[in-house]
Amino acid sequence: MNTQKKSTQKKRRFNLYAMVWRTPIIVWQLLFFVGPLLFMIAMSFFLVKNYRMIEAFEMKNWIKMFSKNYFWDSYYLTFGLASLSTIIATVIAFPASFALAFKVSDNVRRWVIFLLIIPFFTSYLVRIFSWYVILAESGVINAMLSYVGLGPYTMLNTMFGTLVGYMTLCLPLVVILQTFSLANVDKNLIQAAKNLGCSPIKTIYSVIIPLAKTGLIVAALFCFILSFGDFVSPYYLGGSKPPTLPILIIDTTKSGQQWPRAAVVAVVMMATLITIAFAALALAYKKRASR
Amino acid sequence: MKESNTLKWFLWIYIGLIFVFIFSPIIFSMIFSFNSARFPTIPLESFTWHWYETIWNDSDVWQAAKTSVIVSSCTAVIATALGFATAYSDFRYNFRFKGPYLALVLLPPTIPLIILALAMLAWFSKIGTSGQIYSIVIAHSVMTAPFAMAIIRLRLNQIDENLEAAAWNLGASEWRAMKEVILPFCKPAIVSSLCLTAAVSFDEFAVAWFVSGLNKTIPVMIMEIVTGNIDPRVNAIGTFVFITSMTLVIIAQIFFMTRPKEASAQ
Amino acid sequence: MSKKTIFKPSRRDVLKYSAAGAAATVLSTPFVHRTWAQTTEINMLAWYGHGEADIVGAYEEANNVKFKPKYYAGGDNMLALIAQSPPGTYDVILSDGEFVQQLNAAGYIDELNPADYNFDDMLHEDFTNFPGHWAAGKLHSVMVRCGHLGVSYNTNAVSAEEAASYACFWKPEIQGKVGHFDWHLPSLGMMSLKNGNGAGLWDLDDAAWNAVQETTMSLRSQVGGFFDYGGTFNSLKNGEMQAMCGIGDWITGVLEKDGAPVASVVPKEGGIQWTESYCIGKGSDKADQVKHFIQYMTSPEGQVKSAQMAAYPGFAITKGGRKLLNEVDPKEAQRTGQVDGMANDPITLIKEGRIHYRDIPQQQSLEDWNDFWSEYKNA
Repeated sequence: MNTQKKSTQKKRRFNLYAMVWRTPIIVWQLLFFVGPLLFMIAMSFFLVKNYRMIEAFEMKNWIKMFSKNYFWDSYYLTFGLASLSTIIATVIAFPASFALAFKVSDNVRRWVIFLLIIPFFTSYLVRIFSWYVILAESGVINAMLSYVGLGPYTMLNTMFGTLVGYMTLCLPLVVILQTFSLANVDKNLIQAAKNLGCSPIKTIYSVIIPLAKTGLIVAALFCFILSFGDFVSPYYLGGSKPPTLPILIIDTTKSGQQWPRAAVVAVVMMATLITIAFAALALAYKKRASR
Repeated sequence: MKESNTLKWFLWIYIGLIFVFIFSPIIFSMIFSFNSARFPTIPLESFTWHWYETIWNDSDVWQAAKTSVIVSSCTAVIATALGFATAYSDFRYNFRFKGPYLALVLLPPTIPLIILALAMLAWFSKIGTSGQIYSIVIAHSVMTAPFAMAIIRLRLNQIDENLEAAAWNLGASEWRAMKEVILPFCKPAIVSSLCLTAAVSFDEFAVAWFVSGLNKTIPVMIMEIVTGNIDPRVNAIGTFVFITSMTLVIIAQIFFMTRPKEASAQ
Repeated sequence: MSKKTIFKPSRRDVLKYSAAGAAATVLSTPFVHRTWAQTTEINMLAWYGHGEADIVGAYEEANNVKFKPKYYAGGDNMLALIAQSPPGTYDVILSDGEFVQQLNAAGYIDELNPADYNFDDMLHEDFTNFPGHWAAGKLHSVMVRCGHLGVSYNTNAVSAEEAASYACFWKPEIQGKVGHFDWHLPSLGMMSLKNGNGAGLWDLDDAAWNAVQETTMSLRSQVGGFFDYGGTFNSLKNGEMQAMCGIGDWITGVLEKDGAPVASVVPKEGGIQWTESYCIGKGSDKADQVKHFIQYMTSPEGQVKSAQMAAYPGFAITKGGRKLLNEVDPKEAQRTGQVDGMANDPITLIKEGRIHYRDIPQQQSLEDWNDFWSEYKNA
């Protein structure tokens, strides 16, 4: 390949150029991220005496947390909810992204994308609180439903509420990322598929989706990470019923400054997410053998 | 043709519904910011500017707004720069320890905020960078660089690898090829990354509360109000932010409309 | 590839200049309303509202100080923040009673001189020698306000007679509409009181602790959710929750003033008292000013301001404070029973032994109680 050949020919200049791009992040993260990261992992081995953390290296916190049923209940629940949120967001977003990528003019698409960036600039917390008045039993939706005689539905403090919150968090991002990746699919290939007699549906799942695979998976990954780590939605719209891992972390800190045990939960969450992230990215960037 | 029309209508309505879902909390928040009642319930009480007056006259709110703007714009620039450098390195090179390199960049979003917040405060205190406005910038740029990297990397995935090499073969130096080939191609991604990282930073309160010392940002202020004295001031603040960003977006979009058509085909 | 024309600002430029424009607008707006010359800044760490103009404004004007408040959403965040911040960052710290013990045990607060403060004016001798504020005979914190926790309920769903006992939480008609304030301590304390533990509500042996756990678990099917401040307010106001466990007038008082049909009472099994006090942060260089401020807050004027605090109301704890409150705001005094001789006079309730100060569990650790709380949530 061209780039490989280049690298052996001009090795000296190449290195400087490469280093300029490669090192900034390393330096920055080493200075400002590795420290906190190591502190967090170390903290999971600390003890708490007299409400003060003592630096120690004890497995006590890990053993204690892993032996609690509520920890594992929370873990599986959070994993399940985040997965559900990812699936729902991906499926809901797809028709909209598809339309934005293929069925509207460039200008309209640009407008819509920009409008979708707006929610990012309004406080997530305030938006979640606004859902109270919409979803409450005496709220807007139930008021409208009562006009057609349907009974008041409990939507707050349920898993449904939590999922509504997750959608508020993830949906704009998923739509934007999906639209980007779908819009950049080579239109010639789609045309070729049509010319070869592919039905629209088959075109979508045989041609378009595989070509846009990277972006679709990245969008889903973002959604999973955001939902897995979100505290606000399950707390305010789900009523902490049942509590997810982020809520458990907050709760654990109320056990008399038990930040070490909270750190155990955090490390487990981090390990889970980084594993999922690597698996997803490997899947996303895997080049197809035929290319 | 007929099938295509019904499909088109269906899709338009679908997009409309998504917009309703995404924007109704914002719209309701705006409505209640004018409501005289302290708690948002229906039916509405009377129209009032009171909450807006309160925050307009509150010097703390303006201070927090100023801090937020500074923090999010600095964060956006730093995070996007870092993200671009990393994405390009990942795209172009294969080197030893690439795995750990990527892991270092992608780890921050996987860590629960409150623990990351405490850990950052502990570390920053040790190295003497806590309690200042730049502490928040540093923390946020660490947290948002992964997003910037992912967006730009996604865009780089779409470039033809041979374009850069073609530029070299035509006599361009690597730097020039970067400036004239890669950067323009990545422009949409860079802009999106700037917006996204600024937005994430603008809305982040957990880490900001811990590392900022006595400097408040808007999200910290909103969190304090929501967890201590909830009243429609948060709606008023939220609406202010919303109007401001809408204005920025519209201005930006107007500039877009004057660009030559071929550019949009990128 | 696009041709670069002469005047075509790139998207980056536009956003850059727009952002700069916005920043310039914000910067040029007058945002300083007070002269900053020679004003002492005092850093305050407190629950929301304690540094706002309605309560400290007059003091700030009179003494040329400005409070820079940092508000926390829970004592645990407060402790962690102090632990990891450089010493002396926070001059004055408002703390709940139980946390003063923790603050002191970890060495974050200064010792105080009792002679500086008017303990003789307190309404009850307990306030003078409040447990937790003193350690080994030394004073570390001065009490400034308190409030009572009991049964909080929607007056349309629960009658006043029913509310006279914690048993009303189990009323079948409000199934799924009972909420918990999301903190184990007051809720479990109330369950302990329901079991009849009275004054020994925090001091439970194994059998009593098991009984409390059972009682709590039996309530689980009634529970609609676990809420923090904002969630509690919203749920009670819009009627999602018809009863709340773990709170008192400090929330329903605000809602009442807003016209919501809610109320709090101390039931026959007894109520719990929350207590707030001020401490001086260790390493602070403004200890004198803080001392002066604490003296103000325990003076009649400060006490009235505290009782009328917009964020959440509390009781005046000095004789002078109560007297002044009855003069300037008799309505509020009547509403909260802060009139000598009224039936629900909080001081009378304490004297009758119906109020128990909030404390940490004695025979179990905080961890044990919190572990159970997590199990309860997951049930």
